[in-house]
Amino acid sequence: MSISPKKIIGILEQNTLTLIGTIMVVFIIFIGVAAPLICPYDPNLMNIPARLQAPSLAHFFGTDEMGRDVFTRVIYGARISITVGLSIVVIAAGIGCFFGSISGYAGGKIDRIIMAATDMVLSFPSMVLALALTAAMGPGLFNTMLAVCIVRIPLYVRLMRGQVLALKEMQYVRAARTFGESPSKIVLRHIIPNCLTPLLVQMTLGIGDAILIASSMSFIGLGAQPPTPEWGAMIATARIYAIDQWWYAAFPGLFILITVMGFNLLGDGIRDILDPRSKD
Amino acid sequence: MENILSIKNLSVSLSGKRGIVPILHNISLEVEQGHILGIVGESGSGKSMTAFAINQLLPGGRKSIVDGSISFCGEDLTEKTEKEMTKFRGKEIAMIFQEPMTCLNPVFTIGRQMKDVIMTHQKKSSKEAEKQAEEMLEKVHIRNPNRVLSCYPYELSGGMRQRVMIAIALSCSPKLLIADEPTTALDVTIQAQIIFLIKEACKATGTGVIFISHDLGVVSQLCDTIAVMYSGQIVEVGRAADVLAHPQHPYTKALLASIPSFTPREDGNDTLSAIPGMVPDPLEVITGCRFAPRCSYAMDICHKKVPPLQIFADGYSLHCHLQKEVEN
Repeated sequence: MSISPKKIIGILEQNTLTLIGTIMVVFIIFIGVAAPLICPYDPNLMNIPARLQAPSLAHFFGTDEMGRDVFTRVIYGARISITVGLSIVVIAAGIGCFFGSISGYAGGKIDRIIMAATDMVLSFPSMVLALALTAAMGPGLFNTMLAVCIVRIPLYVRLMRGQVLALKEMQYVRAARTFGESPSKIVLRHIIPNCLTPLLVQMTLGIGDAILIASSMSFIGLGAQPPTPEWGAMIATARIYAIDQWWYAAFPGLFILITVMGFNLLGDGIRDILDPRSKD
Repeated sequence: MENILSIKNLSVSLSGKRGIVPILHNISLEVEQGHILGIVGESGSGKSMTAFAINQLLPGGRKSIVDGSISFCGEDLTEKTEKEMTKFRGKEIAMIFQEPMTCLNPVFTIGRQMKDVIMTHQKKSSKEAEKQAEEMLEKVHIRNPNRVLSCYPYELSGGMRQRVMIAIALSCSPKLLIADEPTTALDVTIQAQIIFLIKEACKATGTGVIFISHDLGVVSQLCDTIAVMYSGQIVEVGRAADVLAHPQHPYTKALLASIPSFTPREDGNDTLSAIPGMVPDPLEVITGCRFAPRCSYAMDICHKKVPPLQIFADGYSLHCHLQKEVEN
């Protein structure tokens, strides 16, 4: 498992797509973190006389219907999207792993109950369920995150359960039991560290998906509310101007594309690097 | 000498999808301090199940039906709860396995894994545990223990890993070591070294050893006592020399006859002799002796009546109708 930075650079040089994905992700994270340094304006500063201007040196991506700088808002949007994506995935994976490993290790009744619950959630299309949950809890970015999180949990439960079932029969896990180690220690020490690879891949791919779903929810007005500079919400307001003022909707859309694609390429790359068998 | 382990009339049935499957029938065994008991038999004869029964780690866990007693230093293990058993496992009863290649967790260093086991059972600081791990590696004749401690399992050969396993197993000075075919996956020279190690550990610390194997050559080298198992039953128990030199049970005879030999046999027949048929499925109902369908000496009574246990001098015992016939 020990992979030196040198080796990673070597692998990236050979695998162009992973390299592109990594660059995209690093770029998005960088602009998100450094947003106040990069941006010339305040994201919510309105300047009505300068509304709906085409891209220029003063406004790289033009301005919106309130005269706000689209470039600034898109950059600040990266912050929101990354935070949303990361927190959804980390929380969903955390909860999912917890129940998944219990389900796989304990088996029997507990397993059946947990699996029935995940099947129930999985039987809905994830977008529809997320939509219904948010609508029930009330629109807002936090509620959207919560809803997407709930929808994503079963994926991790299933993944973990499968891994644990396979690893439970490994000789070293059985050996650990004959050495008198407690079940909790066996799960923490022997099982979880050995299923990190697929988990990491699933999580990286999941960030892109989570961002996409959260943006979609904002687009239909259930997620982030104006004036929050969220990409999906921006496109939602921009769509009535899309034909005459293409830049307003195009740039947030482009950034959603870069982010989601970046995480997907990176996830595929991580899978290739950590699991040579999947590279066929 | 004192008995560390004495199993009396142990019968085990597993309850699974196929219903209740009897896997061990009325087994009695004894292990003395500093002695090595070999259990031999074909695959599927219940050797490993006996080991897991002692450890209370039978597949299916607490759902398996256990009858009889397993007395370990005066305490009946069949009456212990799961929590009480974890205090025995590793500390009092340690186990090593057939596949050293997969017995160690691939993501942690040897040192970390050894320390883990040591600290589970002994109140030691991380430093003391590491020191003990190093000493244990020296005891199993690993040349530079310091380097091996910081190695990952994939960096070691099979023989080295089996040594590490033995070091872990012995690290809490168990009273009983169960070795489940520990040399099967290793080549012959390494086998010899591992056997030597187990013997050394046993004689030096007085640890009792149960050595499970299907290799009669290895068993004859190592064991003081031999128990021959067939289809969940013990058919013959005795001192290693007695059992191997003068086998009484037809199954033992057949097993010994199946060992390939380098020299041509006297009768000029050089086809490898084998036991006809297969070990019966545990669910198969067999009245009488379970070996009778494959036995070349089988008599009428063998198919009708379970052979009684006959006890002779020097701890020799036998389950066979044939012996009685000869006596009569």
